[in-house]
Amino acid sequence: MGDRVGIVAVAESTPAIAKENLMDAVYWVTKELLDKVGVEREEVGTIVTAASDVFHSGISCANSYYWEASGGFLKNASRQDADSLFAFLYACMRILSGHFETAMVVALTKGSENPENDTVTSLYADPFYHRPLGINETTAAALQMRQYMEHYGISLEQCAMVTVKNLGNALYNPYAHVRKRVTVDEVLRSQPIADPLTAMQCAPKSDGVVAVLLAREDKAKKLTDNPVWFRGYSSAMDTSTLGDRDLLNGMLSQVARRAYAMAGIVDPSTEVDVAEISEPYAFQELLWCEQLGLCPEGGGGRLLDSGITGLHGRLPVNPSGGVLATNAYVARGLYRIAEAYWQLTKRAGEHQVDKTVHTALAHSTHGFAGQSHTVVILGD
Amino acid sequence: MGRSVAIMGTGQTQHGKRFDVSYPELVKEAVQRALADAGLSPEDIDGVVAGTMPSMMEGVALNHLYLADAMQVVGKPLLKTETCGSTGMSVAHTAFYWVASGMADVVLAVGYEKMYEGDSQATMTTVADPWIQRSFVAGAPGIFAMQSNMWIDRYHIPEDRLREAAAVISQRNHDDAFDNPFAHIKVRVSLDEIMNARIITYPIRRWDVCPNSDGACAVIFMSESRAQQMGRPAAWIKGVGYRGDESYLGDSDKVRWNTAIDAAKEVYQQAGIINPRRELDVAEVYNPFTFMEMLLYECFGFCDFGEAYDLVLQGTFSRGGDLPCDPSGGVLCTNPIGATGLIRVAEAAMQVTGKAGTHQIDGARLALAHAMGGVSQFNGLMILGSDR
Repeated sequence: MGDRVGIVAVAESTPAIAKENLMDAVYWVTKELLDKVGVEREEVGTIVTAASDVFHSGISCANSYYWEASGGFLKNASRQDADSLFAFLYACMRILSGHFETAMVVALTKGSENPENDTVTSLYADPFYHRPLGINETTAAALQMRQYMEHYGISLEQCAMVTVKNLGNALYNPYAHVRKRVTVDEVLRSQPIADPLTAMQCAPKSDGVVAVLLAREDKAKKLTDNPVWFRGYSSAMDTSTLGDRDLLNGMLSQVARRAYAMAGIVDPSTEVDVAEISEPYAFQELLWCEQLGLCPEGGGGRLLDSGITGLHGRLPVNPSGGVLATNAYVARGLYRIAEAYWQLTKRAGEHQVDKTVHTALAHSTHGFAGQSHTVVILGD
Repeated sequence: MGRSVAIMGTGQTQHGKRFDVSYPELVKEAVQRALADAGLSPEDIDGVVAGTMPSMMEGVALNHLYLADAMQVVGKPLLKTETCGSTGMSVAHTAFYWVASGMADVVLAVGYEKMYEGDSQATMTTVADPWIQRSFVAGAPGIFAMQSNMWIDRYHIPEDRLREAAAVISQRNHDDAFDNPFAHIKVRVSLDEIMNARIITYPIRRWDVCPNSDGACAVIFMSESRAQQMGRPAAWIKGVGYRGDESYLGDSDKVRWNTAIDAAKEVYQQAGIINPRRELDVAEVYNPFTFMEMLLYECFGFCDFGEAYDLVLQGTFSRGGDLPCDPSGGVLCTNPIGATGLIRVAEAAMQVTGKAGTHQIDGARLALAHAMGGVSQFNGLMILGSDR
């Protein structure tokens, strides 16, 4: 890997439930992105988008529909399914291959035109053994949560506190979907979904388009004074059968170790300045923090209690409000990149963390109880 | 540009109606064959690229989750590339860029489809937007018939001779499939039967159309240093090109089809090809419809516009001709869509490494592989060669 890849601009859609159709929403966000650095569509080297057919308003082969709206007309472009961090990584690869100077990454999901998320996630299950059991992302997460609480003595209140913290952070993020001050009691008394999960511990269904412009090192320095650099990544899939997996010790620990090694990070709990973690279920932020090495095993609850992960703590986690506040399913990984970028370039506005940020972590997950995990490390 | 990348192993399933295996078993069959062909074990793979058609095809969403074990990707990074019909080619491109970037040395590309689990034409109709195009787009034949008719009209192609040329293409592919152990449809048909078969969508008749197939394909991509350590013939990637059109059919010219023309220019430029018909030894053109195969010859510069039918009748694109096309029997005889583009790449790699068996083109050293997709939107190509 010779050259470095830098992020030179980021654009996000707002509000979280948009009136525009998907084509307009994609057009406006990509246009805003290119205008920020004065780049014409013709100058963009390649485009990688992220969208899934099942989260795509009843249209199959997602990128066929929004191709020209994302600037793809007569361009060498491609698409990643399921997770927009895949698209981010593929765009980095396209630049590092030496074939392209710049790459635009666009992630989109219009949750308001889709069925309920779990109507879709139940279709992840194999059709013969698991699907008839009613397994979906939420019921799988409930199993994981119960195990997590019992094994490490994590309390319901600690899990609910994640929602309180993240929705509170979202109050300061103009791009967030659910923005409100709530109490632990309100979270625990919200509608039971799959015991022990209540409605407010589960992520909503949001609309969202995010676009990120990447450039090779020399080009990045020409386009902006403060590029954010891609420093490390890793990703892994777990086995598909839930019963074959250790839900408290999945792939995330090894993914994190590999990403830190690539980025030259030795002690993540002191070297990572801010983390944007995908927590579609509140307790997962605690579990993922442990597996990301931000605290000791079983210490997720204490980490939260200490206030370290608060907006102005020593290691803020999800200052944007996270996935609990905004869940444009496929786009949520690239939202983490976008939010890490705002923090690194001190452009997060009211939710800018109260410390100097040199290193940020972006994480995404999909599948039952974290079957797929991806971690990206960014730095200034 | 970038690091050189080679294909060091390919694996295909027995394509066809595979009610004997589950979806994961089908995928595993191709993956195991690719690993065996390359002499590798799963631990040697750094990452996996997977691709398929929309979830509606088999009724499993984000099916890399379901097929993770079959693809040997547990504990490893995965990318999931999907671009409709051109998915298989885009999967190959992703594996290429991944290795060329230096972020991995050995990447396994897997494309798969189990089309007898669902209704492929119903699925493909949902590719069109629900408001304007969907109500009149009748699956793939409707779109490609329209494109073929525009082409016939533009160049005043004589219909009787074109009909005969399409029959020659159909018969050639069906005959060639007998030499491909993995091919699905193996039927002898006469020119007369082909020309008088029932009409599907004018001008497309029964034998001008590809089948539905169950099938998977796996291909192993390697960095230059790792490939050279293997000490065996490699298929080197000489060019990678891709272009996409707008989603509305009427918004762009589908005869002088810019996505096909520009994607071909991109690969020829990278591979240093000036006269493709003379320089290429074999081409695996994505040919789900006979008439489209001829239109693509013209877009790829194998001949001038309006000329293909005449050259087909002269045998230019048959075995023994200037540029043999689809000696595997092509998409016309085997079409597990998510795998189909990758099968073109695998077949091209087999040709330039002398591993194509009874459908080997003697002395093939430079090959073209192609796939298309979307609502007549996407074209992706790859050039493979025996020499780095």
